[in-house]
Amino acid sequence: MKKRYIIIINTLIVGLILFIIVKYANDRAAESNHASIASFEKMTTTTEQIIANYLEDEQHLCDIWSNYINRSAEAGTPMTIDEAISYIRKAKISPEISGHLIYIDDGSMAGISTTPSTTDISDYSVKYSHISIFDNLEISNVNGVVNLTRAYTNPLNGVQSIAFLNNVKVLDSETGALREGLLIRVVPVSRLEQKLVFLKGEYENVEISIIDWDGDYMIHGKSLKNSNFFEYFKSYNPMTTQEYNKVVDTIRTGIGSMHIRNSKKEDSVIAYTPLSGLDSWFLVAYIPAEELSANRSIDWILLGIVSAGLIILLHFNIFILISFNRELSVAAEAANQANEAKSHFLSTMSHDIRTPMNAIIGMNEMILRDSHEDSTLMYAESIRTAGNTLLGIINDILDFSKIEAGKMEIINVDYNFVSLLNDLVNMVQRKAEEKGLTFELDVDRNIPRIMHGDEIRIKQVITNILSNAVKYTKEGSVIFSISSSKCEDSEDHVILHVSVKDTGIGIKKEDLDKLFVAFERIEEKKNRNIEGTGLGMAIAQSFLNMMGSKFQVESEYGKGSVFSFDLKQKVVKWEPLGEFDAAFKRFLSERKQYRVKFYAPKARILVVDDTEINLKVFVSLLSKTKMQIETADSGDACIVLFKRNLYDVIFLDHMMPDKDGIETIKEMKACRDTPNQKTPVICLTANAVSGMREMYINAGFDDYLTKPIDTSRLESMLLMYLPPDLVEQVTDTTIEEEKKAEIKHTVLVIDKDVTVLRQVKEWLDDSDNVVVVKSEEQALAYLKKHEAELILMDFESTSPNEFDESKIIRSHFREISRDEITSQVKEFFDK
Amino acid sequence: MSERVKKIVSTALVVMLVLGVAGCGQGSNGSKEFAPKYSSDTEYKLSIVGTYSNFESLESALERFYEHYPKGEIQYTYLDDYSNTIEQALAGQEPPDIYFVKPWMYGDAQLGSVFDSAEVLSDPELKIDLDCIRPGVRWEMNNGEILTLPIFATSYGMLVNMDIFEKENLKVPKTFEELKQACEKLKAAGYDSPVMGANTNTTPGIGYAFAYPMFAKAVKDDRSIENDLNNLVPSAGETMRESLTRLKEFVDSGCIDVDKCAAEIEDDYNAVIMRFFEGDVPMMLCSGDVVSGTKKRESKSEAFTENPFKYDFYVAPSGDKGGYYMDSMSILFCVNKNSENLDMTNEFIRFLTSEKELGLMAQEKRLITPTKDYSLDEVYASLSGFPEDRTINFSDTEILDTAVKEFRAAAYAVINGKMTVDEAVAGYGTISGK
Repeated sequence: MKKRYIIIINTLIVGLILFIIVKYANDRAAESNHASIASFEKMTTTTEQIIANYLEDEQHLCDIWSNYINRSAEAGTPMTIDEAISYIRKAKISPEISGHLIYIDDGSMAGISTTPSTTDISDYSVKYSHISIFDNLEISNVNGVVNLTRAYTNPLNGVQSIAFLNNVKVLDSETGALREGLLIRVVPVSRLEQKLVFLKGEYENVEISIIDWDGDYMIHGKSLKNSNFFEYFKSYNPMTTQEYNKVVDTIRTGIGSMHIRNSKKEDSVIAYTPLSGLDSWFLVAYIPAEELSANRSIDWILLGIVSAGLIILLHFNIFILISFNRELSVAAEAANQANEAKSHFLSTMSHDIRTPMNAIIGMNEMILRDSHEDSTLMYAESIRTAGNTLLGIINDILDFSKIEAGKMEIINVDYNFVSLLNDLVNMVQRKAEEKGLTFELDVDRNIPRIMHGDEIRIKQVITNILSNAVKYTKEGSVIFSISSSKCEDSEDHVILHVSVKDTGIGIKKEDLDKLFVAFERIEEKKNRNIEGTGLGMAIAQSFLNMMGSKFQVESEYGKGSVFSFDLKQKVVKWEPLGEFDAAFKRFLSERKQYRVKFYAPKARILVVDDTEINLKVFVSLLSKTKMQIETADSGDACIVLFKRNLYDVIFLDHMMPDKDGIETIKEMKACRDTPNQKTPVICLTANAVSGMREMYINAGFDDYLTKPIDTSRLESMLLMYLPPDLVEQVTDTTIEEEKKAEIKHTVLVIDKDVTVLRQVKEWLDDSDNVVVVKSEEQALAYLKKHEAELILMDFESTSPNEFDESKIIRSHFREISRDEITSQVKEFFDK
Repeated sequence: MSERVKKIVSTALVVMLVLGVAGCGQGSNGSKEFAPKYSSDTEYKLSIVGTYSNFESLESALERFYEHYPKGEIQYTYLDDYSNTIEQALAGQEPPDIYFVKPWMYGDAQLGSVFDSAEVLSDPELKIDLDCIRPGVRWEMNNGEILTLPIFATSYGMLVNMDIFEKENLKVPKTFEELKQACEKLKAAGYDSPVMGANTNTTPGIGYAFAYPMFAKAVKDDRSIENDLNNLVPSAGETMRESLTRLKEFVDSGCIDVDKCAAEIEDDYNAVIMRFFEGDVPMMLCSGDVVSGTKKRESKSEAFTENPFKYDFYVAPSGDKGGYYMDSMSILFCVNKNSENLDMTNEFIRFLTSEKELGLMAQEKRLITPTKDYSLDEVYASLSGFPEDRTINFSDTEILDTAVKEFRAAAYAVINGKMTVDEAVAGYGTISGK
């Protein structure tokens, strides 16, 4: 992971933690705020109780006064207004409180007071006709409930007061009539305000207001502007009429609190509650919201400490991370170097083995092509087998390297199952016979003949278990079974069931796990004489995995093993295989013998290799294509030819002294003075490790061919790169002619004169296989082991009886010309 | 006097004048920034009582004062039946520190103690900048002392719908002749009653708003008649002739449809404003107190909310050379000299006595500022620089409330055809009693 991402993730984590802390602090603060508001509401209701109790008490005192006056009236001795006031004057204790008694039956609203006017101490008259405090009260019947007026100005002393009311009946001293009076207990508002002083201890800035139904104040908080609370609210809290009405209803009908904006647009809280026992009076407690908000300074300090701590932790983490990264970089560098060393070793090993192998296999191929002697062919065949085995070991190592690098690919092609089977049987049967083992073949005749899959890898897998079976079985048999069944979930596929059973040494249960581990060889000491790298099963298992299968192993130590696997294969032709023997023969008869794929006599090829034998192998293998092949033994020589001659394809070796293939091709690509700017250059190399193909393509090569050279692949590649107009197709007629041309008759020439023999051999050598001997005895010795189709003898020589006279032509070799003897021989064979 | 001496004297006078103006300007500038006299920690509790049930402009001023003295509280209280309770309050257990007075209270025997209780604000020790007050509304007692601080001034005239005048391409009339011409054009444009107003005998009513300033000017020009007027001497009624004749002429000219006014304007305050906000009245006669109610009612008028328009206050163009500007006091503050918190009360009055504070209060109340600077409220901008010879201020006349009532009754009778001008003049002293 890049440092950048780690820092981002760490930062995000730090951010998340800070976010959580802030959110937690905010949540706590919100909870605290809620608690504060709840506490504030509680204080409001407590205050309301205090006020309500006080008002009830005041009303009660008013009621006592009125009851006393009214009882006198009820007793038939009604008091006059003066007597009533005189009684109240005596009854009231507080000098601040006064009693007014006014007549209401005549609408005069005039009467007398317990206290005189402040401007005229002899004037006790009082008049309420100009003071509109009774508008919303039914003053003729106020008995039984607390009857409170709005705050008003006491007309006698100008003090803002509230009035508690009750009806009384008093005697009009002038008329003697019983009149309806209203007794008013007048209490200064300041007296009520004093009851609220205690609140200052708990809330510094709380302001208590008491409003009536319309919002007019009895007690007016300092911060609440306007003479009407609802108007004040509306002025500084813009809202729709519906919303406003809802707020008004809420305050009028319930107990609670709400946030409002004050005249300075500051957030404030009001708690409201109706005054119990009173109609249409409400207590409103106002407080700035910040006084109820939790003090978050400690939270911020905590947040700052945590932030600093996290930032330090972040930097520490980054420091540690950088240190670890440095160590990891060193380790990674070492691992890379080791890997490079391994790759270098593989590359070198592959190259160094393949280079001589190219000569061995290439030249052997030429022997196999050209030789007609059975024994020679037999030896050559052995070389081929051994060469292929060695190549197989190298390939195993390279395959493993590819698998490790994840560069191994499954390449599916159409293949003939008979051919595959034949190759397997051919390979293993002879080995089994050599060890005296019975090789049994059990092939399901219903296996489809042509299928689609990676023939090479399938063959490699089966070869592996078959050769292991042979290698690890000393006596007994190896049974190779193969069958097929239709795939249920896919109509055009079959499941191949492959099984190899042997009577070999078997595998201990505890060793089964090691079976597919690379470089692990079971019972290494015991089997040290048995060739193998320990890679085969691991590679085979990898191939099977890549093809969607895996090995099943059943083994009994000392008795033998069964290796099997099922493999899904796409069917191309459903024609059943039938009896394998018959099919094999048919395959053999149908199989085309090697023949050259094309002729290109006008094509001009340049091959560059520092090893002379490899150049010879290359030229020989392509001799039948009749191409004009030029060779160069170094990069510099290549450059010279490259600049001088036009070639259709150039094959360039990689590992060369002085100037290697990579350097050479770079020079070639940079060269403008050449007719070969568009000529494809193919890397011909013994370096076959994984990744090389990409490396060569990137270096500028058009393609890549490994040594030892596979003739077929070489020809295919040439067909791909040669200009089409240079390529001539190979027809049956040309093959026939060629065949004929290729048939050389063995001609035995007997003469004493060596010079003559040399002469004749030279004349006939182009068309025939000429064997020269100096005597009849030598001729007989030769004929014991070989066959001669024609025997040329001098007239002077005697022919032994063992000679077939029909094969003898006598001539005077010293006198005869080349044409004569050539025509005689031709004539003989034509007959 | 030689030419040279004349030059010297006139130069000296000019220099003094310039220095005086500059000094006044500096004084004004100096007063703009209030410098607290006491510590900001000073605790105090003051009370103001008055006749306004709602005094938001004072509350705004208090907020500004609290910025200097945050540890106190000044509470404004509306006194019920003010004229009958203010004296008791001043003598009571909870006397106010500051209280309202109105000009008409002066001379009222029952309210004598109101002025007796007032502190002398012009006392130099108090350093109250009374120079910022317009001389016309600066109320000096006979002994030259100033007991009151005018908070608001008022006047009588008309609200003008400026959009209509702009639309009809007319100028706001300044003389009676121009008024008649403008009204003709407006009537031609479809305005049945180019001028409207409350058909009442109150101060904001048609007759008073249009003709009283002219009447006051007549008194100002001949103060000898003042006593007779105040004593309701019938012969003094002649003083009303010119203004009542002009009023009659105004009604007869068709500038105003009195019946329409009576039908469509129910009272002299709220209805006047709401009718004006309908948007089809070019000129609405009213008092400054009515104008003070316009700001709050703009949002209450659906017509005005939908089609707002620009409006300004002008004096009614009743004279041939122009209208007459009654520069009257509306509300004044007195400081209770017996206040328990006299120092802080004076500090508040000192704070308030500035063009800025009084201007802001007047602007918020939409009444006329008592200071020299009319610029804060553009509705009253027309009053700025009004010719002195057609301005009648408080000190120019001493017309008592009884005489005023007679004029209001006479004007009402004339415009409603209940009396001719001659009958009204002849009936002076008995009209309001009928």
